[in-house]
This record gives sequence, structure tokens and C-alpha cells, in this order.
Amino acid sequence: MENALGITRLKNLGLPLVIIVGLLLLGLPLFAGQFLSYLMLTFFAYAITVIGFNLLFGYTGLLSFGHALFMTVGAYTAAFLTSSFSLPYMELILVVAVIVSTLLAALIGAICVRYIKIYFAMLTLAFGMLFYTFLLKFYYMTGGDEGMRVLRPFLLGIDFSETPKMQFLAGSYYFYAFVILAILTFVMWKIVSSPFGLCLKAIRDNPEKAEYLGVSVKKYRWYAFVISAAYAAVGGALLAPAVGQVDPGLTYWTQSGTLVFMSLLGGFEHFFGPMIGGIVYILLQDKVMSLTSYWRFIFGAILTFVVIAAPGGIAGVVSSLTKRRARGG
Amino acid sequence: METILNVLFSGVFHASTLFLVAAGLQVVFGVQKVFNLACGTFYALGAYFGITVVKLLVDHGFPKPLFIAPLIAAGLLLGLIVGPVIERGLMKFVYDRDETFQLLLTFGIVMMLEDVIKFIWGTSPQSMGGIDLMYGQLNVLGATVPVYNLIVILCSLIIAGLIGYLLLNTKFGRIIRATADNREMSEALGINMKVVYIKVFTLGTVLGTLGGALVIPAGAAVSEMGVELIVLAFAVVVIGGLGSMKGAFIGALVVGVLKSIAISTYPELEMLTVYIIVIAVLVIKPEGLFGGSRV
Amino acid sequence: MGKDNGNVILSATDVHKSYGDFRALDGVSFTINEGEFVSIIGPNGAGKTTLINVLTGLVRPNAGNVVFKGTDITGIGPEKLSKMGMARSFQLVNIFPNFSVLEFLMVAVVSRLGKGTRFFSSLLSDRQITEGAMEVAQLFGLDAKKDMLTKNLPQGEKKMLDVASAFALHPEVILLDEPTSGVSTSDKNKIMETLVSASKKIGIKSILQVEHDMDLVFSYSDRVIALHQGKILADGTPATIEQDEEVVCTVMGQKECFKIFSSLQSGER
Repeated sequence: MENALGITRLKNLGLPLVIIVGLLLLGLPLFAGQFLSYLMLTFFAYAITVIGFNLLFGYTGLLSFGHALFMTVGAYTAAFLTSSFSLPYMELILVVAVIVSTLLAALIGAICVRYIKIYFAMLTLAFGMLFYTFLLKFYYMTGGDEGMRVLRPFLLGIDFSETPKMQFLAGSYYFYAFVILAILTFVMWKIVSSPFGLCLKAIRDNPEKAEYLGVSVKKYRWYAFVISAAYAAVGGALLAPAVGQVDPGLTYWTQSGTLVFMSLLGGFEHFFGPMIGGIVYILLQDKVMSLTSYWRFIFGAILTFVVIAAPGGIAGVVSSLTKRRARGG
Repeated sequence: METILNVLFSGVFHASTLFLVAAGLQVVFGVQKVFNLACGTFYALGAYFGITVVKLLVDHGFPKPLFIAPLIAAGLLLGLIVGPVIERGLMKFVYDRDETFQLLLTFGIVMMLEDVIKFIWGTSPQSMGGIDLMYGQLNVLGATVPVYNLIVILCSLIIAGLIGYLLLNTKFGRIIRATADNREMSEALGINMKVVYIKVFTLGTVLGTLGGALVIPAGAAVSEMGVELIVLAFAVVVIGGLGSMKGAFIGALVVGVLKSIAISTYPELEMLTVYIIVIAVLVIKPEGLFGGSRV
Repeated sequence: MGKDNGNVILSATDVHKSYGDFRALDGVSFTINEGEFVSIIGPNGAGKTTLINVLTGLVRPNAGNVVFKGTDITGIGPEKLSKMGMARSFQLVNIFPNFSVLEFLMVAVVSRLGKGTRFFSSLLSDRQITEGAMEVAQLFGLDAKKDMLTKNLPQGEKKMLDVASAFALHPEVILLDEPTSGVSTSDKNKIMETLVSASKKIGIKSILQVEHDMDLVFSYSDRVIALHQGKILADGTPATIEQDEEVVCTVMGQKECFKIFSSLQSGER
């Protein structure tokens, strides 16, 4: 668990590293191919989602197996606004996505945070699947299992419809998404280093004791739930135009499982862990998929390995290695 | 009247196989406190394997009308092999961990097994070509019911009875109930947890594979059947109450019949109703109809 | 403490609590005044922990009520209670294992200052919070280990930290459930001194403790309440209780009983 010392240590050592990585990512389209840039774009969307998810999972200790629901809300918002309502303004999409997901999460969260552990996981799974059947059954609105198309949005009011698709995605849209990722990462960092963040960690470490110290456990869990939902919606809203298409499968329980996988893989106990997990997952998935169609088997094996042997994820392994080195071992 | 009965019988038929998988889930959850997401995939494995075995035997001259025997044997055999392998090979490493980790491990197993199925049997649907109709149909109380369905319902009832007997009247059953109630105490009393866990997990797996094997003659094996079924089984287990066999029974009936009703009246509402009920149960009475208190 | 100013700050009235057929509390009534240090004594199973649970609103009694600062707090739960100004510590240590000592105390300070919903302010830059936590750490001698993880502390210090976190809430009344249990006899006095001086520095008005060590009870308490089989056997100053044969024999055991009263008989008193 990141303790207070961890936060300061990161500020001193980690900050330069973060800036370097950030600059690398920013400049990536200049030296990498269009496809890699596209992949990184999807990573940005998932990174936002997963950083929000981890507020709930890593920091508050609640495993949601239905978080893809909120990502899907964001994605469908993009679909509706660009296709059905011809209001393809990205800023509007993001705002509407956040509003809708916040309202939905406020409602769902109020029900779910009364339960913990397996019951919480099951309730969230049920809600995720409920949304799935909703999207399927109300096909006259949502296009059913065929889904909906997502048209190219205007960024900052600028119309990019003349630009070739890949150039747009690996260019303007890439930077747009990156900026949003950077801002939201900074915001999440502030949240996690705040008194509120401390309370969340306390709730995770010992909810009973937290209550005895006057922390409103249920209320704070609810806040974490809503915030993480808003993040997921932004992620989904950013992802949809990149993929160009949304369908109910986005909220199937296995998709929520992927979000958990990413967080676990990268290390849910570290701030940047889930992002590391996200990028590894996406790049690895692309690589493995090109080698075999049985990528799920390999990923399942990786997940199993991580759960059994390296539950702290990649970040956990790195941090224990550096600790050992610091001790002179 | 006839249609209602048809719907009911169809519902009970689906409930029967659903009960088997749910029972497998329950016994593992009750004793090991693990919610095994892979139970649905065991069901799928049982279905595919059942098809393969029966096809193989029939192609080599096995009398078709007797297909149900090797089918059941296939289901049992597969579970007896897969169960211990997964339990000793993977599950045993996480018993001392937080339940969320155990859940995630089973998710990893789902991913792996799904591709194993894809590898062995491919992605196109498989079926037994209507072999279930070999036994003809019966007119029961005015409804036309395939005899095969009645056989499966009967099998499930027998298995339910056997499980009940096992739990209540045998030493192993007492051990299961004791461990489910209080693991530390049971361990302190000298019960070998390792052996209990292997046996219980295998039992859970066998129930899953058997359920799949039994249901498959009446339908088709498709690649999503595992991940779809686990959600239904999960609904059953929630409604009936986590860890309760009686709950699995009643819950399966509720879900099976509901699904059947919905399919024949308002197909749009089919799964929607099930999930709304799941959420309602989790909110109003999280322990389900028969579960112990554990929120 | 000894600065009893006569204002009642906490009162229990006719409290009954049963678990099935077992009567844990059978009509318990008493009051605690501002400035008092009260010890609750009694043999195991007398209902002491149940009483604390009821007094802290954790458990709802079957009958009777508990009033704190004029408000009925029966069954209000730990969170609301701490916000009202009452805190408790536990017999069995209840900690945040993965927190450092400082972070542990900061949770209490954050809660006390009502800053739990500050989403964007920096925790570590908030001197009110960090200094508030350090202050309590120093009072309890834990400041040298401020960055050590709680789970790595020796058992005795874990307990001290648990108690310190309750103090960090700056409660008006604090209930301590066996604060010196598991501590070696030589350290017990030191702990009591720490508790009393910390209370004075922080401004805690009243202390209520459950304690088994009679020497400590008689040295520090203004008043002693003896509990037996869910009923109050005696409620008075240490001097009064010491001479109450029934209390001494029931609560403190035959050895004490024999020691005190056989010496009485032999005319040594």
C-alpha cells in the first residue's frame, strides 16, 4: 500500500520519470507508425477508465465486475450525439457522458455500496448485464446487437471530416485524447493524495476502524463509485470515435473483467499500476493476436499467474525489486 | 392450457440442468467460499465433450437409442478429470487469499478454458442432430413433452435427492456442512481440508459437466454458452441464497420457468426480468431465499 | 482526574441487553460527570464489554437508553458517535495494518477537522493535519516511529496506537476497553500515566475504562463501578469499594478477598 512516504517519494523520484514518459507519449505519432499511434489512442481511453476504476478497486477496496457499464454509457453517448442527434461536438459528448454516468452511478452506487466483497462484485455484475440486455432489447433506439455507428466528432469546434481517418486518429484526435488523459491523471493524483484519498485507503484497510474514527464509510464509497464511473464514461466516450462503432457487447461482464485484469496486471496498489497494466495488455494483445487466435488462453494464463504468483502486479514486482536493491541485496 | 403446460415443462427442463450447475456452484461456495465463474465453462465443456463421445460411439456402431448412457458417463468422467486438475493445479494456491482474488483466478480459468474449447471443437455450433427426439414424445396432462426432457428432469431430481442424502446422511456430507459452517473449527477437529477441498471442487465440476452433457441433446453447443450460463447460474444462486442447496433447487425453478415464460410471451423481457429479480433479491434480501446471513 | 464539576456528561438508564436467554445487562443505571475517571470492574462475563458496546451506540439495548451531553445516543453507531465527541478503544487491537503510524493518526485528525471530503487539497501539505497527528504521536511516545508501518510495530505499541487514534479525535469522553491488557506489569503504570497526561493535554473531560488490574483501578480512578452478572454491584469511590466485602470477594476473587478480609479479622487494619 502506498503510504504517505510513497507519495512524497514519487514526487521526488517519479515525477521526472512521469514527465519523460508523458513527453514520449506526446511525441509518439512523430516517430511511430499510424497503427501504433492508434493502439496508443485506445490505450489512452482505457487508461482513463482504469485509473478511475482503481480509485474504487485499489484505493477503496471494492471490486466492481460491472464497470464496463459506465464505459459503455460514454461510448453510446458518443454514438447518439454523433449519429442520432447530429451534435458531433466532442466537448458536448464528454460533458453529457459525465452527467449521464454520474447520475446513473449515483443511483446504482447508492444500492451497491451497502454491500461489500463478493456481494458488491455480484451486484455490479448484475447491473452490467442488465444494461447489456437493455441495449439489446431496445433495439429501435440502440440498434440492438448490431450496435450504432459513431461518426467523427468535431474537436474544439473544428470539423475534421475532410481528414483521412488514420491521419485524424493518429494526429489531432491522438493529442486531444492525450491532453484529456493528462488532465484527468493529474486530477486523480490530487484526489488520491487528498484527505479524502486517505479516508478511502482507511476504508480499504479496515472499514470498521475507519467508522470508529468517524469516517462515513458508505458515503465515501459512494463518492469513489461515482467518480470512477465518470472516469469510465470519459474513457468510453473517447474510445468510441476511435473504434467507430458501439454495440451492447461493450458492457458484457467479460469486458468488466478486462478492466480488472488490466488493473491487476499493472498493480492495483500503485497509482500508475493500472495504466501500466493497460498499456501492457493492449500492446501484448495486439502482438499475441497476430500470432495466434488463442490469445485468450495466453491472457487467461497470465491472469492466473499474476493472481497466484504476483498479486501486486508489474508495479508490485518492480517496487519490491527496487526495495531489495536499496537494502543492498 | 396446453401452451401453459408446455411452457412450464420447458421451464422445468431448463431448470433441471440449471440446477445441476447451480448446485455445483453452491457446494463449492459453501465449503470453499469461492464463487467459481468457471462453472459455466464446465457446463460448456460437458456439452461439447458429450457430443464428441456420443458421435464417436454411434459412428462405431453403438446403438443410438442407448445414447444417454455414454452421455452421462462422459459428463461424469470429464468432471472427474478436470475437477482435480484445476483444483490441485490452480485453485489451491489462492485459498488463503482475499475472495476477490479467488474470483479473479476463476475468471482467468474461464479465459483459458474458453480457448481450449475453441481449440478442440472450433467455433461453429455443434449439436447432436435432434437425437433427443429418438425417445419420442409423451402427452402429459395435455402438453406434448419430449420423453428425453422428462428423463433429464428425472435425472436431476434423482441427483438432487442423492445430494440431499449425501449432505444429510453421510459422513462426508456432515464434513461438508461442518466446513461450510466453520472452517477453522473443522480443521481443528482434524478434518483434512486438502482432501475435502479436492472432493468438493470435483463434485462441483462434475455437476457442471453433467449438466452440460444432459442439456445438449436438446440444443446446440455454441461458443458463448459458458459465459452466458454462468450469469444465469449466478442468478439462480443469488435468488436461492449463496451456499444453499435448497436454494439452488428453488432458484433454478424460478429462473428456468421465468425464462421459459418470457421466451414464449415477451422475448424482449427475457433476461431483463431475471436480472431485475437478481438485483431486487440482492437489495431486499441479500441472503436469498434460503441463504445464511453473510453480507 | 479529580476535577469533577458535577455536570453529568454520560448516563445510562435501566439498560437491559439479552442475547437469547442470556442476560448480559440486567437493568444497569449510572452517570458519569465531567472530569471523572471511572473504572468498570467485574469478573469475566459480567457484561463489561457489552456495556461499553451499548454506551458507544454499537449495540442497541433491549430496554433502557444512553444519554450523552443531553442527547439520546442509543444505537447511533460508531461514526455518528465519534462526531458527537465520544471515542473508544478496543480490547483486541483494531488497526490499519498497512498504514504508517503518522497516516493512522492522520485519519483521526482528518475526521476530527471534517476534511474527509476535501478531494483536491494535498494531505501532506496540510499542516493542521500533519501537526495534529504528530502532536498525538508525541504524547504517546510514537513520534520516533512515525513512518513505520503499523503491522510492523510490536504488539504493545499497536495497542498504544489504537488508543492514540481515539485520542486524536479530541473526544470529550473516551471509553477504554482494557487499555493495559497484554502489557507487562512494569509497563502498566507507564501507560496509565501516558493516558492521563494525554487526556489533560488534549482536553478530554471524562474517561471511562474497563480494567482488571486492581492496583491501577484504585490508583487512578475517581470512581469505581463493579459489575456482576449484568447488574451493578457497587458504585463508589475506590475507598468505599475496597471495604465492600461483597464486591471484593465477587469481583476480585477469593485470594484478594481472603487477603483483605482475613487481615481485617486478625485486626491488622
